[in-house]
Amino acid sequence: MSPARDLDGHRYDVIVVGAGWAGSLVAKRLGSQGWRVLVLEAGTTTLDTWPGHLDAMNTFYSSLIKVPNAPYRANTAAPSPSVLDTVPHKGVHRYQSVGYLVQEGPLPYGTDYLRAGGGTGMHWLGLTPRMLPQDFKVRTEFGYGRDWPIGYDDLQHWYCEAEREIGVAGDAAEQTREIGLPFPEGYVFPMHEIPSSYVDRVMAEHLDGKTVVDPGTDEPVELRVVNTPHGRNSTPNQAYDGGRGFRPQDAVGLPNYGERCVGNASCTPICPVQAKYNPLKTQAQWSRKVTLIDRAVVSRVLVADNGRVTGVEYQAYDDPATPVATTRTVEADVVVVAAHAIESARLLLASELANSSDQVGRNLMDHPVMLAWGLMPHQVGPFRGPGSTSAFERFRMGESRKEHAPWRLVIANWGWTWAAGSPGSDVAEMLGIPETPFQQRKKALYGVPLRERLGDRIGRQIAFQFELEQDAQPGNRVTIDRRHRDALGNCRPILSYDLSDHVKKGMQAAMGVSHQIFDLLGAEERTAYQADAPSYFEYEGTGYAFNGAGHGCGTHVMGDDRRTSVVDQWQRSWDHANLYLVGCGSMPSIGTSNPSLTMSALALRSVERIHQDLTELHRPLVLRPAPAPEYAHPTEARP
Amino acid sequence: MTVRDPLTGLTGFTDIKTPLAEIEQPPFEIPRTVPKLRYFLQAALALEFLTIPPYLTAMYTIKPGANQEAWYALRAVVLEEMLHMTLVANMLNAVGGKPVVADPRFVTDYPAKLPYAKEQVPIALRGFGREAIRTGLWIERPEKMEDLPRTGKEPDPRGWTSIGQFYATIREGMRRLAEKQPDLFDGDLTRQVGPEDFYNSGGRAFPVTDLASALKAIELISEQGEGVPGSIYNPDERLFGQANELAHYFRFMEVHEERRYGPLDTPASGPTGPALPIDWTAAYRIDPQAKVADYPPDSEVRLAAEHFNQVYARLLWLLDRSFNGEPKQLQAAIPVMLELRDLAAQLYANPHPDPARAAKGVHASATFEITQAELLAAKKQLDTGAGATALLASLA
Ligand SMILES: Cc1cc2nc3c(=O)[nH]c(=O)nc-3n(C[C@H](O)[C@H](O)[C@H](O)COP(=O)(O)OP(=O)(O)OC[C@H]3O[C@@H](n4cnc5c(N)ncnc54)[C@H](O)[C@@H]3O)c2cc1C
Ligand code: SF4
Repeated sequence: MSPARDLDGHRYDVIVVGAGWAGSLVAKRLGSQGWRVLVLEAGTTTLDTWPGHLDAMNTFYSSLIKVPNAPYRANTAAPSPSVLDTVPHKGVHRYQSVGYLVQEGPLPYGTDYLRAGGGTGMHWLGLTPRMLPQDFKVRTEFGYGRDWPIGYDDLQHWYCEAEREIGVAGDAAEQTREIGLPFPEGYVFPMHEIPSSYVDRVMAEHLDGKTVVDPGTDEPVELRVVNTPHGRNSTPNQAYDGGRGFRPQDAVGLPNYGERCVGNASCTPICPVQAKYNPLKTQAQWSRKVTLIDRAVVSRVLVADNGRVTGVEYQAYDDPATPVATTRTVEADVVVVAAHAIESARLLLASELANSSDQVGRNLMDHPVMLAWGLMPHQVGPFRGPGSTSAFERFRMGESRKEHAPWRLVIANWGWTWAAGSPGSDVAEMLGIPETPFQQRKKALYGVPLRERLGDRIGRQIAFQFELEQDAQPGNRVTIDRRHRDALGNCRPILSYDLSDHVKKGMQAAMGVSHQIFDLLGAEERTAYQADAPSYFEYEGTGYAFNGAGHGCGTHVMGDDRRTSVVDQWQRSWDHANLYLVGCGSMPSIGTSNPSLTMSALALRSVERIHQDLTELHRPLVLRPAPAPEYAHPTEARP
Repeated sequence: MTVRDPLTGLTGFTDIKTPLAEIEQPPFEIPRTVPKLRYFLQAALALEFLTIPPYLTAMYTIKPGANQEAWYALRAVVLEEMLHMTLVANMLNAVGGKPVVADPRFVTDYPAKLPYAKEQVPIALRGFGREAIRTGLWIERPEKMEDLPRTGKEPDPRGWTSIGQFYATIREGMRRLAEKQPDLFDGDLTRQVGPEDFYNSGGRAFPVTDLASALKAIELISEQGEGVPGSIYNPDERLFGQANELAHYFRFMEVHEERRYGPLDTPASGPTGPALPIDWTAAYRIDPQAKVADYPPDSEVRLAAEHFNQVYARLLWLLDRSFNGEPKQLQAAIPVMLELRDLAAQLYANPHPDPARAAKGVHASATFEITQAELLAAKKQLDTGAGATALLASLA
């Protein structure tokens, strides 16, 4: 009998729903404090063995379209969305969602997540910028979105802790100099920065110190290429931790295989050498107090009459291909829901819990990504190193935020991969393959001329990703409807999603900046948005299209008023004192920073609070760390 | 020549008839002077280095996707050999020596004899197969307690029978010299390679600054290869708090026996755990004595094999510089190693240019040959800014 079916009626100190990023961190910390933690994971846990990792690699290599979920096998019991689910369609909207997510538009929410042990952090890109102090009060300072109940200073310590858990590589001094980020006195990141790509250096040569004009405000903005902090292994910094240094975490399932980033440039969807952080590396550090049960889809959080949650109900299945499950329950003093912004909201809605504010599922945010691409007159050597190593940071801050959404201007290091499906699309074009099967095949190149043309084209490709801040809008939301269910009978998430005018104005300004940059580079701009793209829209006469970044946030929003927010500053439900909702869903605004570092800082901060809650419940109780085993192995005799 | 395989008692390695390349070596004894100690450490450096190409050859001749367990076992061993080489260089620098890598007198051709080995066992560039694994077993075999030179007892002047013995001899010399000479380890600290410049594998690179750190380096080197005495595990867990890992000898034993060690196994029990199926046929067959000269002049294979050796020469220089005051060059060495991997893979995938041999299923191979001329050319290339160092310098 599967262990998931065997747990019925057991009791733990804490149940964590989801063995993804946030859940793995919470379980690690609580487990090492001595609490008995049960982690319930909807998906499978094959990926935490080396053969499982190799299987994912092979699945990725053999997949035709290398989307983020390409390496990971389908699971009918706990389905995941794929970016391929959103397809062009002529109807009410320009697209149709054919997968797990139901999309009601008007614009498509263009990203996926992964429901398997490790969660979406298995195919994240690996960028870990902090939010700016001004990002925490956008409503007060700039008049849009929602303010946080806490600020940068409250998170400073937890940012540092999160950077330790993830193993961040970066240059803290440059972050202060170029972005004005405050750090504790003398702080360095655990590892030295990831070397900037050759493309970055070309950009710096052409653009550092030059200015462009923000068309939204007519203000000049200085360009400067700034290295981004990364969650991937580079060279450990001996000065870290007061001179104690840092040892990067090994790969999972194959000890002593903790490589540095070698620049395979396939970070999303999978890092072959596991140089990139993933939550399974945190799971490898779990103490014995943590029990992981996979293939257990939590379907309901259970609540008692007094408003306290008592545990969860889950569906235990055996075969991911056979959507057949048995329902079980398990109890705990504290329940932590960490199932990803969209899934956590879905679970709360299905449980009819924590929603006295009517904010559960609302304020769904992402970083809409507007791509711009072109051809340089000379070779710039893309595809060496991670998908991106640097960005222009000045567009993230300042008074222009009152006029339009800010953005991080990310320098892509993978040519037109994201923009135009390179290099596959280049090969197809040069082979004369028509866009639809109904057209005639054009003249084709073969052999040496094909190779030369390809090398020339791909070697000159540059692209920018304008990653815009999206403001919290109550109408952007996750809902459920009994009519839309998955194979186990759980309600599927229904998304309503749109961009505010603030964001659209941001895109307008970004496009103006983009033209100026291509001019300064002497590059041929190739940006073109197809009118039949699912995300295509027109704003003041110009057409735009965007992609999702995968940064789902805001769906169980944090605030200082129980009438208008779902959780308090500790990510604790206002309505249920022993229910914590941990993840990007708590963030009231997301600035222009990829959210997972901030999410991790919040999660670690919550652990302190959960620990306090549990200690109070258990008083008087003396907590001792688990005794170390006397010897490591029976054959290894010790004096 | 005939060699008894210490494991199976069978005689083996009989296919190689040519004389073995060997470095020049004064008699084997406990080093009593600093120059002698430096010499033995240099021999140890050569020894560690010489093991790497054969292991790489075994690894890269495995057909893509096959025998993954064996592939990863070899990979782990290779990385640890590189760590050993680095630690030996640190010891040599600590006692005021100058490690030599880019010199054909130390990095010999193959088949080679390991420095100060008592037996004439050919260390050859064998494709993945039982003989290749047996070579690894021979190199890494554990020392017997009774063979260890006790204080005062001179080692067998004909050489070592286990690498642990060789290091025990060095250790003894180092101990005695340190007693007499308190400034023995006063070498220039900037020449030490630390964890900043090297990590990637089990264990950890650390600077050698005194007798204690030198002894720790020796302990790590011997035990990663042969196991903590009486156990099948290496000392990583004890020394660094890392995961408990099998020592090299026992990794090879698993592949050889096609069975894993179980949790209660000991050196004496052999592996009794789950089966580890190996497909011995899923490997390119190559000539273990191949030389560039075997390939017709100007043929594509010839050019590729020559090119490989040029890049190999470049790697030797980068290592040489890393150990001689420029530890950052180790970073530049990594892309060169990857380049070598790709060049070697192309050769192995190519049938031997001699049709008769090709008909027997023999493939071309990388020969790891180094001449003074090649080294000079590679040095010139590096000095004029070719390859990864130039890129690295320009990035700085
Ligand atoms: C393509 C892509 C690139 C990204 N790049 C970056 C980046 O560079 N930087 C950055 O900061 N962020 C990045 N992100 C975002 C990042 O991946 C997420 O912010 C992060 O993974 C969210 O963590 P989480 O723990 O909330 O959710 P997840 O990591 O998704 O974990 C949720 C877990 O809960 C499980 N689960 C779900 N439902 C249930 C249920 N009902 N019962 C039990 N378990 C359940 C899931 O299986 C999963 O294991 C990227 C995302 C994508 C898609
Ligand atoms: S660039 Fe390659 S090695 Fe580096 S993190 Fe990405 S996939 Fe891993």
